[in-house]
Amino acid sequence: MDSGSVSTRGPCSVHPWRGYFRSVAMFRLQGSKVLAVDMTQDAVKAKNGSMVAYDGEMAFKKLSGGGEGLRGMVTRRITGEQMTVMEVRGQGTCWFADRASEITLVGLQGDKLYVESSNFLAADAGLRTGTSFTGTRGASQGNGLFTTTIEGHGQAAIMSDGPAVVLRVSAQYPLTVDPGAYVAHQGNLRQSFQSGVTFRTLFGEGGGEAFQIRFEGDGLVYVQPSERNTIAGDV
Amino acid sequence: MSTVHHDPATLPADDNVNAYTFCVELKGSQWFLQKGKMIAYYGTIDFNGIGHGRLDRLVRTSFHSPLHASDWVVAEGSGKMLLADRAFDVNSYDLEEGNLTIRSGNLLAFQPSLALKQSIVPGFLTLIGTGKFVAASNGPVVFVEPPIRVDPQALVGWADCPSPCHHYDHGYMTGLLGGLRAMTGLGGASGEEHQFEFVGAGTVLLQSSEALMAEQAVGTPPQQAGVPGGGASGAPTGRSGAPGLPGQLGDLQRRFGL
Amino acid sequence: MAFQEINSKMVQATVAPGQRLFSQRGAMLAYRGEVSFTPNLRGGQGGVMSMIGRRVANEDTPLMTVEGSGTVFFGHGGHHVQVINLSGDTLYVEADRLLAFEGTLEQSTVFLGSQGGVMGMVRGQVSGQGLFTTSLKGHGSVAVMAHGGVFEVPITPQRPVRVDPQAYVAHHGDVRNKLSTALGWRDMVGRGSGEAFQLELSGSGTVFVQASEEKL
Repeated sequence: MDSGSVSTRGPCSVHPWRGYFRSVAMFRLQGSKVLAVDMTQDAVKAKNGSMVAYDGEMAFKKLSGGGEGLRGMVTRRITGEQMTVMEVRGQGTCWFADRASEITLVGLQGDKLYVESSNFLAADAGLRTGTSFTGTRGASQGNGLFTTTIEGHGQAAIMSDGPAVVLRVSAQYPLTVDPGAYVAHQGNLRQSFQSGVTFRTLFGEGGGEAFQIRFEGDGLVYVQPSERNTIAGDV
Repeated sequence: MSTVHHDPATLPADDNVNAYTFCVELKGSQWFLQKGKMIAYYGTIDFNGIGHGRLDRLVRTSFHSPLHASDWVVAEGSGKMLLADRAFDVNSYDLEEGNLTIRSGNLLAFQPSLALKQSIVPGFLTLIGTGKFVAASNGPVVFVEPPIRVDPQALVGWADCPSPCHHYDHGYMTGLLGGLRAMTGLGGASGEEHQFEFVGAGTVLLQSSEALMAEQAVGTPPQQAGVPGGGASGAPTGRSGAPGLPGQLGDLQRRFGL
Repeated sequence: MAFQEINSKMVQATVAPGQRLFSQRGAMLAYRGEVSFTPNLRGGQGGVMSMIGRRVANEDTPLMTVEGSGTVFFGHGGHHVQVINLSGDTLYVEADRLLAFEGTLEQSTVFLGSQGGVMGMVRGQVSGQGLFTTSLKGHGSVAVMAHGGVFEVPITPQRPVRVDPQAYVAHHGDVRNKLSTALGWRDMVGRGSGEAFQLELSGSGTVFVQASEEKL
């Protein structure tokens, strides 16, 4: 399967020298469904409208596209992927939550996280975000395997319907995932599609052709205990 | 804070990974799964529609209700697979020469050593025998003992209770508001005027929900006098057939190749 | 304490003669013993004025009186339940979030406009939850529902807290509320929409916020 990636630098990191002065926003979980970010004049990118409360002084700015540059926007236009992201900057604590989703913190040390755009909650503003497109088949099935990529050093928060289970993939242990339960992955992974259920049946019908995503290589895959409505993924 | 990373060596065998995810270990064995409940697996596992010719005998011994066969698949092979259902709580239950009746929408998976039958109570399925099954609930399941009266929507199922029956609270229904409601149909029905009553020895399973999970079609019993939900008198509670069973009989005939 | 938390979505209450409870209609999951449930015409004990207030505010959450002797399980719609204990102070909570509360608490309907001035009036429209909110005062416990559970944010005179009106659940203490906007917020969400405002709580007390912007 082909896999292309578009990644441009975010508005914050086009001025690398600012990173020197920039203190890093502190991400912590308050319970499992609320992300608290302690900020001292620094900034985070977060899903639009996910702020539920804050103290101190905060300023909000809408970021066009997905927080990434022009090429990212164009990609989004083409893929029909919608994600609006805001930048929150200030001094104090800001709490984020979205429809009671469970939140998982991911620390990035220079590696790249691929996350389903609908599962992105927040990231340190210093992280680069972009769009990645994987697999033509996912596109035709409407499963939206157009993922947001997050890259750099810092923390990101992803959300899932129910707590995410983190599964390790290694040469010894390839993994197969239902597209509806896929949330995110990181590491050096190859993905391919395979057929799911065999409906060579008497009835000659069935829920369409189910398919599954197979991960091979070395890395981590995040799955949620729930399935988005997918057209296929029917096991 | 660190997140636990799982691989086949650390995943539990036939146990919960967390409150919402269950891990089944297959060693050349088989499990019945409701479609759409498998979220990921390691190893070599095949999923076959249960009408698959080779599995005919299995279906005959384990599937006794005219369930919509196309809603179920058989998983077989070796490896570990994760099951989940819309982020509801999932739990496994072990039966030993026992019986447990469960709301059809809550059942996720079961071992073929159990026989699945349709309950007399419409919308419920009974599992009989020895083996393990996995079921979902909205919030953790709370086990209570009879005597108890339960809001129908909070009922997950029951084990061994001989006499589930209806209970109507006349005080609630005959008050001024109750009268108004009866006359106008406004205000709707609530669990306070009608409950399921359980007496005798057994266990009742409760969930915190009034938003029901989607009913799983269990099929219609034969049209026959004396069979609830089967006769021309119609479904007594409106729960039995549930919508989405168009052309019931023809459908079944086709599915079973009759 | 009247309410015992069975799990995050279910509470158990003990009812004894002379100790009645009020609960939202339809919130009973199961009970044992001799317990009666009476729908409440007046919607609690707020009196006729309260009733009128509710009608006007379209905040008519039907309550019922629970009395007798036995055990009752409460829960609703799979929502998370939080038990809040009051010892003499007042809790302000949207009526449709009330799952159950002890009869020892004095219930009344509060016109938020009188608390927050003109902006307070707008608040009701903002959250779509009525101009009126319910207050519970005295000694006893309250079971409150929230989507995804709640977390508490302390309010101190030095640190006012701003909350998304949709995520606001309840507050107690000596707290003033008004609507405000943060820098850039209105440009972001659009001026026309009610969400352009944030609920600013100042004084000293606690605000309960849910992990979701979804109203019940």
